[in-house]
Amino acid sequence: MARHFLATWLSTGLAISTALCLVVPSAVSAQNAEPILIGVSAAFTGGSAAMGLSARQGIEIAAKEINAKGGVLGRPLKLVERDDEGKNEVGVQVAQELIDKERVVATVGFVNTGVALAAQRFYEDARIPVMSCATTGTMVTRQFLPPDYEHNYVFRNGLYDSLQAGKMVEEAVERRKFTRLAILADSTNYGQLGRADLESALSAKGVVPVAVEKFNIKDIDMTAQLLRAKQAGAEAILTYGIGPELAQIANGMAKLGWKVPLIGSNPMGMTSFVEIAGPNAEGARMVQSFIPDASTPRRRAFLEAFRTDYNLERIGNPPSAAQCYDAFYLLAAALAQARSTDGGKIREALESLEQPVEGVIGTYRKPFTAGNHDAFDPSYALIGEVRGGVIVSAHESDRPR
Amino acid sequence: MSILTQLLVSGMSVGMIYAVIAFGFQLTFATSRTINFGQGEALMLGAMVGLAVVPFLGYWGTLPLVLMFGLCQGALVEKLAVARAIETRSDFGWVMSTIALGIIFKNLAENIWGRDDLKFPSPLPDAPLVLGGVHVLPMELLITAGALALMLGVEAFNRGTILGKAVIATANDSGAAGLMGINTPRVVTLSYAMSSMAAAFAGVLVAPVTLTGATMGSALGLKAFSVAIIGGLSSGLGVILGGLLLGVCEKLTGFYIATGYADVPGLLLLLLVLSLRPTGLLGRSALTKV
Repeated sequence: MARHFLATWLSTGLAISTALCLVVPSAVSAQNAEPILIGVSAAFTGGSAAMGLSARQGIEIAAKEINAKGGVLGRPLKLVERDDEGKNEVGVQVAQELIDKERVVATVGFVNTGVALAAQRFYEDARIPVMSCATTGTMVTRQFLPPDYEHNYVFRNGLYDSLQAGKMVEEAVERRKFTRLAILADSTNYGQLGRADLESALSAKGVVPVAVEKFNIKDIDMTAQLLRAKQAGAEAILTYGIGPELAQIANGMAKLGWKVPLIGSNPMGMTSFVEIAGPNAEGARMVQSFIPDASTPRRRAFLEAFRTDYNLERIGNPPSAAQCYDAFYLLAAALAQARSTDGGKIREALESLEQPVEGVIGTYRKPFTAGNHDAFDPSYALIGEVRGGVIVSAHESDRPR
Repeated sequence: MSILTQLLVSGMSVGMIYAVIAFGFQLTFATSRTINFGQGEALMLGAMVGLAVVPFLGYWGTLPLVLMFGLCQGALVEKLAVARAIETRSDFGWVMSTIALGIIFKNLAENIWGRDDLKFPSPLPDAPLVLGGVHVLPMELLITAGALALMLGVEAFNRGTILGKAVIATANDSGAAGLMGINTPRVVTLSYAMSSMAAAFAGVLVAPVTLTGATMGSALGLKAFSVAIIGGLSSGLGVILGGLLLGVCEKLTGFYIATGYADVPGLLLLLLVLSLRPTGLLGRSALTKV
């Protein structure tokens, strides 16, 4: 706390007695003030690195923009980035390091549900807000619900599984009027939890899937799964898996000379799916939160930042980048509203954000409440479609919110 | 009926992929009673090196280069991980050291090529052929033909050349071969080189239909190991039989029972073979005289 006061005093040049007020000074003095440390924990290496790196880039662009405008509370935001490798045990170490050694005021990131569930406990205990921006497990924000816990410090800005499953079913059953659906899901936690969400979303519409099949990561042949779906008379296939195996499904269908629509969860938007499946990926549809287009000035600037800062014409994983960029803005808004770096005050501010926050996905108006720590509702989900090797918006009506 | 044939054909083409990798296990086991547990990684390196040079030389042009690379990589593995273990008569030293080298190769590939799965350009059209109602990819036929050609090639080398005769002699009785003036350590190096060459060849062969990436070898290497055990580590024909059995088993169970259980019968078969015929279906039982 002493350093905190001193920094404010130095930066504003005001007397110590007024330092408590934390007035917002000019951009110039922000550069000299003590920075506010924000942790970033995501997988920069390992199987989820494509998402983790995009997430980090989104966060870095947001931090750079905010700092260029003078930071928050007159202080620049400084990122403390750590690679959790997508491994639960590394995620736990990173959490402890960020909390106890680096003393961050909040952490953003996480691309793996398992890592988030393992690491969040430390933030909850330390009363430090943690914002998941690329995890999908429905459980993530519900691990520390009151009344079992006094306050929940876990927030999320991203597509969660039950939302994605609902959107997939809406696309298949309501928009395209399919009644005979097969589910193909991988055998990981991700795939099987998603499959359960799909089955319950289908049963809410009174539909029973005609086939529910499983495959393993790295499976090289999907003949058995696809033939079972075909024999059952499936009109479309709903998938819960990740890019490479989804590509094997698309290629397997081409091999069997059987083509029905593919409707997948978010990872069907992975570059690996589009590249490995090539022409067989055409027409596949999937749930996305963000499809790169320059439809708003904010999005134009966002895409331009990827070009200038990272020399990327195409964002590796656009939804992760956009969700994490917006998540960082939500956190910065909460810091400004709380006028404090105290974890409890930031949490309260997040739960009652007064000003709308404009992001690239849309404008967030009161995204969180004490009882709801998921910023997304179904209106945040779009349906993307592979056309000519790129993902575009499938429906005209899916415009920026 | 056409479904059953389709499953059989798909199972057999997957089985041939397993068999060609398992063939490498058989090569080193015959001469040295050791196995390169990094066989999956040797396959991955072959595919990745192939992917790196394919834009310059085309698919067929990369083949000789990849075969050469495999030979060198195998010899290196033997020198680093196995030679000392055999010299000191260490029973299990080579197990850990070949696994360790495999992990190192995998990490190396991750750092060079990243962790994402990539597309390997197919030398043949991607459109399936329809033969009597059964769909099969031209590439799958090439895999089967290539695998058989490789095994026949190695067999011809063993029977027809003086070096090959030394390999057979060492495989039959390493001690006696040594007494007859055969440099057995060098034969072991050769067999490791050929084993990795087979794996690297398998890598470029299967890469267009599987996923190509640093982690492609792990799952395939393990499957191939079960195939080698089922078929018999000392029999070339055995690994083909083992591969076909496992591949077909997986597809039939996947379709007729449940896709979630596709791997179970293969493993049951493995347990069954181990308890009834520990040397594998076509393996010769070695008599140990005391």
